[in-house]
Amino acid sequence: MLSKLRHCEKACIKLFLGILVCLSCNHLAVANSSDGFTLTQQQEAKVQDAKLTAVMAWHGSSPWVNSVTLGAKEEFKRLGIEVLAVTEAHYDPAKQISDLETLAALTPDILLSLSIDSLSAKPSYLRLSKAGTQLVLLSNPIAGFIHGQDFAGLVGDNVDGMGRAAANLVAQAIDSQGKVGMIYHEADYHITNKRDEAFVDALEQYEDIHLMVKKGFVKKSQTAQLTAAMLIQHPDLKAIYVSWDAAAEGVIESLRIANRKDVKVISHDLGTNNLLDMALHGNMYGAVSDRPHQIGTLMARIGAGAATDVSTPLYTQVNYNSVTFENIAESWRLAFKTPLPHILKSVLEQSQEATGHGEDHDAR
Amino acid sequence: MKRSALDQIVLKVSGLQKNFDGVDVLNGVSFSINRGEVVALLGDNGAGKSTLVNCLAGRIQPNKGTIEINEQALLLNSPSASQQAGLAIVHQELALVNELSVIENLFLNREILHANKILRFFGWLDKNAMAKKAQKLLQRLGTYLPDLNAPVATLSGGQKQVVAIIRAVHAGADIIVMDEPTSALGAEQYGFLMSLIRLLSSQGIAIMLISHNLHQVSTLCDRAVVLFQGYSVADVALKEVSQTQLLAYMNGTVLEVPQAS
Amino acid sequence: MMHVKLTAHTLVYYAFAITMLIFTVLLSHTAFFTTANLLNILMQTSPIVVMAIGLSFALSVGHIDLSIGAIVAICGLVAAMLLQSYGITIAVVVSLLLGGLIGALNGYLCERLGIPSLIVTLGMLGFLTGFSRQLSGLQSIPIIDPQFISLFGQGTVIGIPSQILWLAGLVFLAHTILNKLRFGRHLFAVGASKPAAHSMGLVVSRIRVCAMALSGGFAALAGLLYAGRMQSARYAIGESDLMALIAAVALGGCSLLGGRVNIIGVLLGVWLIGCINNGLILSGFSSNEQMMVKGIILIAAVIVTSKVNK
Repeated sequence: MLSKLRHCEKACIKLFLGILVCLSCNHLAVANSSDGFTLTQQQEAKVQDAKLTAVMAWHGSSPWVNSVTLGAKEEFKRLGIEVLAVTEAHYDPAKQISDLETLAALTPDILLSLSIDSLSAKPSYLRLSKAGTQLVLLSNPIAGFIHGQDFAGLVGDNVDGMGRAAANLVAQAIDSQGKVGMIYHEADYHITNKRDEAFVDALEQYEDIHLMVKKGFVKKSQTAQLTAAMLIQHPDLKAIYVSWDAAAEGVIESLRIANRKDVKVISHDLGTNNLLDMALHGNMYGAVSDRPHQIGTLMARIGAGAATDVSTPLYTQVNYNSVTFENIAESWRLAFKTPLPHILKSVLEQSQEATGHGEDHDAR
Repeated sequence: MKRSALDQIVLKVSGLQKNFDGVDVLNGVSFSINRGEVVALLGDNGAGKSTLVNCLAGRIQPNKGTIEINEQALLLNSPSASQQAGLAIVHQELALVNELSVIENLFLNREILHANKILRFFGWLDKNAMAKKAQKLLQRLGTYLPDLNAPVATLSGGQKQVVAIIRAVHAGADIIVMDEPTSALGAEQYGFLMSLIRLLSSQGIAIMLISHNLHQVSTLCDRAVVLFQGYSVADVALKEVSQTQLLAYMNGTVLEVPQAS
Repeated sequence: MMHVKLTAHTLVYYAFAITMLIFTVLLSHTAFFTTANLLNILMQTSPIVVMAIGLSFALSVGHIDLSIGAIVAICGLVAAMLLQSYGITIAVVVSLLLGGLIGALNGYLCERLGIPSLIVTLGMLGFLTGFSRQLSGLQSIPIIDPQFISLFGQGTVIGIPSQILWLAGLVFLAHTILNKLRFGRHLFAVGASKPAAHSMGLVVSRIRVCAMALSGGFAALAGLLYAGRMQSARYAIGESDLMALIAAVALGGCSLLGGRVNIIGVLLGVWLIGCINNGLILSGFSSNEQMMVKGIILIAAVIVTSKVNK
């Protein structure tokens, strides 16, 4: 009897340990670190032998997209995969469908894409998948798609984390108290919508910070006017959050014209102009940056793996970090893997009074 | 449009008055034209000729007075109404659509439609019928044009005028008003126009000619109506009056009480 | 060898032939001349052809319709919204009527207020764009009705894709109206010379309003074709097509001042632009390079057209 109990005990402990291991494995799988997916040497050799072809169908054009493309192209080159064509749809869903159809005629083995409108892109993606193309998605999921069958994997940002980090940056900028405004992207666009939502939620944790006003924009050229109006209505704002970098340029321009050097601007993604402002201690206080170059690399690798029957993860997340004056240079390198633009470099060298080194926030 | 007997009055204008912005442009103009007559409308600039023509064309409406066509008093409130009444105006600017062909211009707004009922309902054109009819019309009036399908813009001023006249004839006009028809014509074309007018007149169509050329008027026309400052000051048979007298009427040197003939 | 005089009207035929020749040389190794790809081009450009036909009607009377893209969007949205509850017939009929009414309203405002159509339709464009966004709440509206999808989208009839049948049918219809019916002549007359047309007894304002209504109606049809193709309706559809439309009608020989319109020329103009787009992608040009090449082609076309007699 006792030996049976002992037996049970051992079994239970094994079971418990087993479950623990599984849980932690899951945890690791979900909260992927930056090198989320790698191929062994054997697998890479197989890719080289397969003489694969790849295409990319983007939603639009921007330095961020270019960085993703660069990362992907470098990885494809490393793996001996030929890139046949890269299209961008100028944010027009109909054009994206046309692009996908045109690319389908090339019968590529791998397709990297960011969908503008998941609903209308779905049938086109399906046709490509059924014809044998491995689809790797960026950021925007497609409802109803089955991993391993319709698409090889999704690579995305930690949109919740980025939103929260932005809220933290705002708190940091205004010592956790004061009135704040928000200029957000008023369109059906997954990344910005989710980041903005997370920002608002996280900001509510701060009792003494009040989100007074939200103004939406459609085209990023509208943000300057919106900021001017916002300042007139709420002259006591201490900080403004903007959905992303290019839109924030208009906000800063408006603040300069109104001579409001005291209002801090926080946004997402890195752009040279705003970083210059940050380096010169202007309105731009901080930005949350993801890793576009890495996104490209991962997508390319996942595509290559899937095309050679290697199992690929459903969701791979890249990291982000909060960027302020102290860690501009390192953050740029992490994000884009290209050298710092010349003008930014010289400005940073000049204003080296604060010496702080970069801090990486790997918030989960 | 009744075809009236000869010597029947086809157009009668009585006491036409028109006021533009406080200025009296027409001051009780009265005259009449018989079937088949060729009448000249004379008068200096500002006498009211254009306004009178515009009233007849249905483009403007007089403030007072009547216009009777075939003894029916009519209200000409649009170019359509005027055309339906039997009046046709051939302008100086020649209201033809330059980009359309001769045939298309001839039949604009009076197109010949297909025989089939269903197609007629949609306005299906019978281009063959129109081409044939166009040929016939031209022949009947003794004209020749090289290419009926060429745009009207390629024709000379005289040829365009002929097209406009033929259009008027085809529309069944009883009265054709020609505004300065000879001003753009060379000698040969003028001769042709003269014979065309004679031909039309012999077919019972009344013609009203507006012209500044008194010599031409006396060879072309039977009668003349003279306007001076909005008044109809004379209504004379050209055989009975000299050019000097006509000029005097036009200058206002001689004023006659307006009379209906 | 047959010599066809190079005029503004025949320019597009030459341009099309020359481009095809160039492509045969440059793109023979790519997938350009495969049936699948050529079919793709036909299908991708079909809504644009329909819009271009509508625009041609407006141009024929000397109007321009800048709101055409927005009419496409709103009619597509309305059709998608009505489809679920009221079925395909009502959705299609209401959508077409809506397009026609908006066009007629455009025309009426132009005639009544005497404002150039450029400004009226620009205002309508702004209004409809905002309204479409509001109506749809920025969401795409999915379409699951299989009848609709096969009728306007991916369906085939005796092996021919329905989009191509629509294309052929509508081109034939437009060609018939413009060249075989009395109304077509009246359109040209009004477009070529309003005063002359008026003198000849045509009711100019009514004809112009009808032309704009036709423009709106064709735009609605284009909206249905887009909706069928994408299996959804979205507020932003048609937004970016205006440039291609104007380029296509200009290539096709339509005068912006009004007058005769060559539907076949417009069709070839749209196809030409579609082929160039497609060819540039298949050649591996980057997006920026594609834009530059297209700009150069448009400028070249304008230069040639201006040097040529009408």
